[in-house]
Amino acid sequence: MSQKKLTVVLSQAQGKDPNRRAIEEEIAAALLMESGIDLGIVPALYDLHEGHTGRLYLEGVQGDMVVISWLYPRAAYWLLDRDGIQGKLGETNIKPAGNNDDEDEEEGEETKRPKGIGSVKVQDRFIFCLDLRDAKDHRTYVEEIRRILSECKQRWDAATADLKPAIVQLGMNISPPASNGTLALNGNSANGVPFLKEEMLKIPGRRWYPVIDYSRCTNCMECLDFCLFGVYGVDSLERIYVDNQDSCKKGCPACSRVCPEQAIMFPDYKSPAIAGAPVGAISGLKIDLTKLFGGGDALVIAAKERDKELLRDGRDAVGLSVGIPKRQSDKKDSPKDDLDNLMDSLDTLEI
Amino acid sequence: MMGKYAAAIPADLYYSRNHFWCRVVAGKNRFGFSSYAIKLMQDVYFLDWQVNAGDKVALLEQIGHIETSKAVSDLFAPLEGTLLYFNPEVLADPSAINVDGYDKGWLFEMDGIIDSLMDATSYHVFLEENWEKAQRMLKGKINAGDD
Repeated sequence: MSQKKLTVVLSQAQGKDPNRRAIEEEIAAALLMESGIDLGIVPALYDLHEGHTGRLYLEGVQGDMVVISWLYPRAAYWLLDRDGIQGKLGETNIKPAGNNDDEDEEEGEETKRPKGIGSVKVQDRFIFCLDLRDAKDHRTYVEEIRRILSECKQRWDAATADLKPAIVQLGMNISPPASNGTLALNGNSANGVPFLKEEMLKIPGRRWYPVIDYSRCTNCMECLDFCLFGVYGVDSLERIYVDNQDSCKKGCPACSRVCPEQAIMFPDYKSPAIAGAPVGAISGLKIDLTKLFGGGDALVIAAKERDKELLRDGRDAVGLSVGIPKRQSDKKDSPKDDLDNLMDSLDTLEI
Repeated sequence: MMGKYAAAIPADLYYSRNHFWCRVVAGKNRFGFSSYAIKLMQDVYFLDWQVNAGDKVALLEQIGHIETSKAVSDLFAPLEGTLLYFNPEVLADPSAINVDGYDKGWLFEMDGIIDSLMDATSYHVFLEENWEKAQRMLKGKINAGDD
């Protein structure tokens, strides 16, 4: 099964911002002219619920894929992972504005710390996630997609070179590829958009739920203890996962503040660190001055946010009495003073 | 004292504990980053407000976020009151914060009682008292990468 085309999925912005629509349309128009590209357009990725045609389309995509969205790449990648749309994370050359050259070194160091539990059953393909906020000119994206296409082609060619004899000898067409866990709904998604455009683009209701970055998650279960709304669960492999996405409380990012690894993202949250901003760009080697500028303790904020939602549900506030992790125990050399929680947030920097 | 080069603090302004200066302009409290804050952050890359003009905010409620060449931080209200206006010029181009932080680089105006703010002398004392703590924090941050 040699892949002939690269699927590019464009995830639209929520709402109707004309500037955002404009760049989406420019990219789409340019990609339609490109050979070797299959383009699919879906509404905002984050809002696609199970059964939405846009999501069915994504689930049916075979082989390498580029996802262009208004989300941080980490958020988009792990969001898809949770929905069973998996692959290896492809490297892109588009970096957030303001990142200097020295950023690469920082990121290099960052990747040396594979301490998370990682994903399971990852398909043997690449998913490239591009953030539409990183560049203002649609050509940047089109050029990057061309580059990705040529990178993928090299890989496909190498793979077919290996496979060819086997295929010739078998003499049969292995069309719905077996190497891919997803049973393609159609098998023809590589030949053009198989779904009705109106169905694909049907605007879903807004959703709100956490997304776990398993490259960081250590399965410590603090989120499970903390969340009192039943959002988190444990799968058959005893791994934490976002079980009941829609039980989550809209606007509440409390569990992400509690997570000692900053592995929990809320892609729609306003502050970049919680929305899944690139590691190098935000927490890399930059100093977090939040405490100095009057920010409170993350755990206290989280408990307050949780109390607000508990009260809204007619339940009792619990403050810091339930599910608040004791962080001091796993921290070695830090001084025991009021800076401890701030120090804890440094864990993102560990290499 | 605080580092090799002292940060200049204009004497005619008020200061909040979270490092904003305050000047009363036409009856409104105008705020900007103190030179101490700017020295810590250095070049501002990105400034984002999370509340709108007209919103009521509590003391130390989060109102925004900043990313600079050296730091990131959430930003918090220096007073309880109503946020009246954000300086559109620094939103469009935050470099004024670095170039002219005490004038053109102002950030926002809000109403509210400014009695809780410090004068320059008290702010200076406050900075000195907290310098060691701040240093520990900064060093802690930096050393954390070397674990």
